[in-house]
Amino acid sequence: MVESGDKVREDFFSEAQEIVETLSRNLLKLDDAHRTKRSDPGLVNEAFRAVHTLKGLSSLFGAQTMGNVAHHLEDILDDLRLGRVPLDDRVVDVLFRAVEVFNELLASEKSASPPPSQAVEALLARIRQIGAPEGPVAATGPIEYDLDVGMLAVLTEYEEHRLRTNIEQGNRLYRLRVRFDLVTIDKALEEIKESAKKFGEIITYLPTGDAGSADTIELDLLMASMADVPTLNRELGAENVIVEEIPRIGGAAIKAETAEAAERIVNAEVLEQGMSLVPNAQRELVSGRDKDTVSLRSVSQTVRVDIRRLDHLMNIVGELAIVRGTLAKVSERVRGEGQRSLAMELQRLHRTFERRLAEMQAGILEVRMVPLGQVFERLARVVRQISREVHKEIRLVITGSETEIDKLIVEELSDPLMHMIRNAIDHGIEVADKRAQVGKPPIGTIALNAFQKGNHVMLEVEDDGRGIDETAVLDRAIRLGKVSPEEARELTRLEVLSLIFLPGVSTRDSVDDLGGRGVGMDVVKNNISKLGGVIDVHSETGIGTKIAITLPITLAIVSALLMRASDQTFALPLSSVSEAIPFDGSVVRNIDGHSVMSLRGTTLPICRLDEMFGLERTTGIPRRQFAVVASLGARRLGLVVDQLVGEQDIVIKPLGRSLRDVRGFAGATELGDERVGLVLDAAAIIEEVLAGTESALRGARLGYG
Amino acid sequence: MLRILLVEDSPSMRRFARTALEDLKKQLGELEIVEATSGFDALRWLPRGRYDLVVTDINMPDVNGLELVRFIRQSPVHRSVPIVLISTQSSERDRERGLGLGANAYLVKPFAAEDLQRTAVQQIGNASS
Amino acid sequence: MASSLLASRSRAALRKPTDRGPIREFLAISLAGQLYGVELIQVQEILSPPPLTIVPRAQRYVLGVCSVRGQLVTVVELKRLMRLAEGGAVRRARILLSICSGEVVGFFVDEVRQVLRLSESEIEPSASALGGEAPEHVIGIGRPGGGEVLILLDLERTLSR
Repeated sequence: MVESGDKVREDFFSEAQEIVETLSRNLLKLDDAHRTKRSDPGLVNEAFRAVHTLKGLSSLFGAQTMGNVAHHLEDILDDLRLGRVPLDDRVVDVLFRAVEVFNELLASEKSASPPPSQAVEALLARIRQIGAPEGPVAATGPIEYDLDVGMLAVLTEYEEHRLRTNIEQGNRLYRLRVRFDLVTIDKALEEIKESAKKFGEIITYLPTGDAGSADTIELDLLMASMADVPTLNRELGAENVIVEEIPRIGGAAIKAETAEAAERIVNAEVLEQGMSLVPNAQRELVSGRDKDTVSLRSVSQTVRVDIRRLDHLMNIVGELAIVRGTLAKVSERVRGEGQRSLAMELQRLHRTFERRLAEMQAGILEVRMVPLGQVFERLARVVRQISREVHKEIRLVITGSETEIDKLIVEELSDPLMHMIRNAIDHGIEVADKRAQVGKPPIGTIALNAFQKGNHVMLEVEDDGRGIDETAVLDRAIRLGKVSPEEARELTRLEVLSLIFLPGVSTRDSVDDLGGRGVGMDVVKNNISKLGGVIDVHSETGIGTKIAITLPITLAIVSALLMRASDQTFALPLSSVSEAIPFDGSVVRNIDGHSVMSLRGTTLPICRLDEMFGLERTTGIPRRQFAVVASLGARRLGLVVDQLVGEQDIVIKPLGRSLRDVRGFAGATELGDERVGLVLDAAAIIEEVLAGTESALRGARLGYG
Repeated sequence: MLRILLVEDSPSMRRFARTALEDLKKQLGELEIVEATSGFDALRWLPRGRYDLVVTDINMPDVNGLELVRFIRQSPVHRSVPIVLISTQSSERDRERGLGLGANAYLVKPFAAEDLQRTAVQQIGNASS
Repeated sequence: MASSLLASRSRAALRKPTDRGPIREFLAISLAGQLYGVELIQVQEILSPPPLTIVPRAQRYVLGVCSVRGQLVTVVELKRLMRLAEGGAVRRARILLSICSGEVVGFFVDEVRQVLRLSESEIEPSASALGGEAPEHVIGIGRPGGGEVLILLDLERTLSR
């Protein structure tokens, strides 16, 4: 404890006295304001601060009674300023009485005479009567302002309360950006405070941290005011003061300033317009919206993250994965050299490392995950718009919008999904009359379903329209030369339907009663497979069509098989690998120009990676190679490589735009040592080798099995 | 020579803290304590050199302690200076926020001079290790 | 392995025009024995070439991809992009990193010489210098007072041909 010398005690008394006097003056003003029904939150706050300081002082200098009274008074004032207790006559009386008691206490301390205990007790009793507010202040509905999360994070509890109160009162929010000269900052600050007070309340002052120069400071003033922008600009604007309104988001009447804001407003419309949504779907959309609607409180608990930072973190995790692999190898070597106990320790370390790494990976991935509802909501709008255009009544049923998937995938999904829905509306759902003729309800239904299945997310787009016309598809395919009439006869239903994924087949040049062309399903399929997904189509004539998409949950880290061909290392995601078998040239047979080999009684088409990619060889073809069987759905292809390096977790990085025409690669990955390996795109490679008219057919006979 | 920035708007509180910190000269050697009377004042002192420790109150008018912590953590020069918060018993949430923004430790009023001294030594020590 | 031009770039930012007119800074490089200039603000970084991974089926001018501090960068040979003669010094070769259409691309050059400051009067715009059919990626000709003449290039445009 600080030594209580005389000088120190004198210090205490004089400061305490000063505070009590300030408090007294302040209370007079407060009383005045209260009686004339004006409210000045600043006064309550000043009173609070005064008593708070007094409390601190008292405990420092051992003035216990005083400290105790100050403590209880502080609580009341806190309740007052946070709005938990209203300012009424009773409270004002107690406050004045408190000032009197403080003076008595100070006098008694100074003259070392007994403290006025009775007076103190009486005061405390009255204070206790005031306390205990009714309960939490009723929370108002969600308030949406385009407030910087960073700004909210540095508000003290009191400032946040002031902000909320102002918003509830319907005041507008402004940000005043002010630049002060360090030399004159005090004066300039006082000036702006005085001027601003006339128009509203300044909630807080935030240094922007923008080091314009060494002798100026820039601050953002968060201000609430009833005045409008032109007024504030006129009165407060200056060369070093910039007034900016913080726009409100949400509520149909307010102008939306951002695209996000616009989307939220539209969602409200979607719900209102009674799209005859099935209750299930309605709940889905509402919950999607609620997730977007943010109250002041929850905003402060979330952080906006730039996905590039997450990518950076994922990179690091990827590199740690490489380290882990090396650790495993080292531990093996140590064991091999007979150092058993050391090896066991290393093993244990490795296992722990692996577990923690997996946890961290999962944690970061979680941050990247966003609910599909985001995309679904946009689609709902599209549906409404298009159905109006084509004069068809459509209802959209959505399930599983809370299903989560990697943010990057979500961003790439909206286009393909939009195409499919467009197709469903344009060419799938019939006009009301036609539907009535075949006994269907006049309102067409399109269903969007999403659900998680293991490591994948399944997305289905279903409609109850006329289904895909196989004859038309076949005709088109034949006319475009994708398939010959003879081959056409031998195709199964599934194969015919799959023809729509060939370029040109699913677009229509002719103008039918719906007008417009469909969008190529080949484009959609391409987009999906770039994401590492697969697309399947099912259809029944007259009943409807269902398109099913399987997507990996995340693009980020995948387990891959590393292999070498012609001195180059390639990676193939394990999800596309069914097995790897020893290979040598003798097992190869040639059927109609295609290389195949026998695998447990079935025929496996093969492809030499070095030939496919035109890789140069510095040495001859090794006698013993490997065939890595890449599989996608029911199709398989054996990729012949020189060497298998091993399994590794990799982070797939997409190739830049400059390389977008290069087919066959899903991206590239770091191999450690700053070396880079290309990641094979199994779907594209299988497609390339097994596609083409005759090959497609042969593929049908050969690859399936 | 160690430099400490002390930010506190209550004069006697400031004096108390200053006295406690000055006592550390025996332990830490030459000490310069720079006093700022408000968050603003601190903004004026920060560009004038480096500090080995910042002790600041949270609840100050205008520029509050939280804003000061954030400002310091975003400043290239002062980014890693240890920050000790002075907070009241009731404002746990403000305290948590301060820690979340990057402050290193906190003291709850009322505290003894020894507490402040111990925390200061610890934080200065941590930073230089 | 990496060197940076941050210092010279910030100097460029503070440049005040002289009476010779506003100054532009160019990085003088050598390609197939000829001197070229690339506008300094277009260059983020200069590297010694790291190990490159060949990308099969890419355009001829793509030398491959590499990793720069974790970021995947496509490396193109500037000589090939401009259809100049092949071959040349390897030891002094460098890669210039530049952002083209949002992507970080590495341009492989034979040699990096120096930074030249050219005033407007020392730059002859391509229209007048090369006659009517000036290729888009050539900004003009630089004639630094008392120095070697150099052809000034716009990196991004060389790629978008």
